[in-house]
Amino acid sequence: MELLQTIETLCGAVGVSGQEHSAAAAALNLLKEYAPNAEIDPFHNVYGVVRLAKEGQPAVVLDAHIDEIGMIVTYVDTHGFLKVSACGGVDRRLVLGQEVIVHGRQELHGVVAAMPPHLTAGDDSGKVSEIEQILIDVGLTRDEVKKVVALGDRVTIKSGFHSLLGSRIASKSLDDRSCVAVILRTLELLKGQDLSCGLSVMFSAQEETGERGAMIAGYQLKPDIAVALDVSFAHTPDADETKCGKMGAGPMIGMAPTLDRELSQRFVTLAQQNQIPYQTEVMGGATGTNADAIGVLRGGVRMGLLSVPLKYMHTPIEMVDLSDCEATARLLAAFLSEIGKGE
Amino acid sequence: MWERVEHYSRLNGVSGDESAVREAIIEEVKAYCQYEVDALGNLICFKKGMVTPDKKLMLCAHMDEVGFIVTHITDGGMLKFTTVGGIDSRVVLGRAVNLYRTGTIGVIGTKAIHQQTEQERETVVKVEDMFIDIGASSREEAMNVVRPGDCAVFCTDYEEFGDGLLKGKALDDRLGCAVLVELIRSKLKFDMYFVFTTQEEVGLRGAKAAAYSVNPDFAVVVETTTAADLSGVSEQKQVCALGKGAVVGFMDRATIYDRELYALAYKLAVEKKITAQTKTMVAGGNDAGAIHTSRGGVRTIAVSVPSRYLHSGVCTVKKEDVKAVLKLVYELTETIL
Repeated sequence: MELLQTIETLCGAVGVSGQEHSAAAAALNLLKEYAPNAEIDPFHNVYGVVRLAKEGQPAVVLDAHIDEIGMIVTYVDTHGFLKVSACGGVDRRLVLGQEVIVHGRQELHGVVAAMPPHLTAGDDSGKVSEIEQILIDVGLTRDEVKKVVALGDRVTIKSGFHSLLGSRIASKSLDDRSCVAVILRTLELLKGQDLSCGLSVMFSAQEETGERGAMIAGYQLKPDIAVALDVSFAHTPDADETKCGKMGAGPMIGMAPTLDRELSQRFVTLAQQNQIPYQTEVMGGATGTNADAIGVLRGGVRMGLLSVPLKYMHTPIEMVDLSDCEATARLLAAFLSEIGKGE
Repeated sequence: MWERVEHYSRLNGVSGDESAVREAIIEEVKAYCQYEVDALGNLICFKKGMVTPDKKLMLCAHMDEVGFIVTHITDGGMLKFTTVGGIDSRVVLGRAVNLYRTGTIGVIGTKAIHQQTEQERETVVKVEDMFIDIGASSREEAMNVVRPGDCAVFCTDYEEFGDGLLKGKALDDRLGCAVLVELIRSKLKFDMYFVFTTQEEVGLRGAKAAAYSVNPDFAVVVETTTAADLSGVSEQKQVCALGKGAVVGFMDRATIYDRELYALAYKLAVEKKITAQTKTMVAGGNDAGAIHTSRGGVRTIAVSVPSRYLHSGVCTVKKEDVKAVLKLVYELTETIL
């Protein structure tokens, strides 16, 4: 597999929380090469067993979420404009004037209406609109809209897939499709190796609306150890450097009270031994990722977290560096090669 | 016509940097007229008609579009920029832009919503606080492909959607350019001048020089104008609406239009069954502002395509309105002189 190509394929698919069909199908298709029995459950979680644990071996699960943020249609007004609510943490400061796709019975293209300056001129407050105030313009009458759009259909902001300087790329939904690709890349690196652990993969639904898919998929897979793969904040000039990772500096190894200390340390040691660039991300409690949900499943799961540094999270122009994705996959592969050996 | 509109919308020509648009237009009109390019980059075309009139008529559309210009490159390789022309800062964030001198793509973002304070989440980000990120890690890396003064435009898909709507960047005023080119390539009654101007978005500057050079008696400006026909906006504040035809206003912020030409436009609209509408607010402005005060004065009218979301990456117009503008402008050329 080619990492860039895999990410582009995954990002091109649509999967707003709760309606992950297309993204799940794309991920399933790619996962089947490594887990032929992989399947999609009724919640749109994708999961597959790569290798069953033998007696005494730990069962390891790798997780990345398949859903993306977006909007959900709540109303069609008399002029045919759609009203929406948010599915996940939409940055309302950037929605006006965006190109959108309404995923109804068929796709409708349109734009988010922006009031022209002559109507906002007196408003110096610079106040951002509530998501419920915006209008989606699909250029149709209410009757025409209703033929193809049902309340509850999802809306995504359209984005291109852009190759930037170096090995950096920008697109929608790199959160968390870049990590879906990292897991697939890890499986590729492990091909032909005999592991000493059971290995399953889940691409979980509804992370953005509260880590819900991971609860369900994780329960089914009964892990002893799990590693969540997600994106985290890469520094931009307007952010606090002490609260961000650095793009291009390798995976961010999560350290937190909710994560297994020994696993975190093992990632650091492995990165050093294998000369893989890495950085640490220390949090004071919950991590805001699926790691929080998976860690307390059934009788408890030893939890690790690796994050790919990403800029502009939750926007149509999320950015990652492919070198970070590759380094994360290498670290994860090194971890899986070792886990269960002599334990 | 629509192929040309798409072609022109995809061309990149921020004010002061319009050469790609000019070259494309020259390519299409050179067999039909005499032309020259003046000191400001205006393309001035003269087309012979069947009749040489006593008076001079000038048709005008602007080639430039709103966009961005790189002002500084930081040590970290980020591009600081400012807007060229009036772009609302609310429609800039979260977009990809094309630094078209080298075709470099960049994105405009800020720190993630998770890292914003409550107040930051609720406040529109000012353009001066934004930067373009091309993926460079250092100034040196960035300078390989970008330098201060380079211009950028929105990366937008040109497409048709809804019930006969078109969206794209730079439809303001490439639609006007397309209408003029259509006319140059058709059979016309009178000799007339077609002027494709520069720098409209930064103060109607190209038109000022061009009007001086051409020295017309009459002028027709072909433009796009703001329509605010959105839910929740009163009829008056909508100014004009998509689907209601060519917009001929009596006054905007730059011009009080010639009353006789205004009446003539509506007379022709009725006679020729062309849909037309006036503006219900004194808003906007265009090259007419510079033209009508040129030399000893020029009797001027503007015919515009109503457009939603005008100075954004997604100018949205209705095809039938563009047709109405083309027809009405044609009829005016037949009767003004």
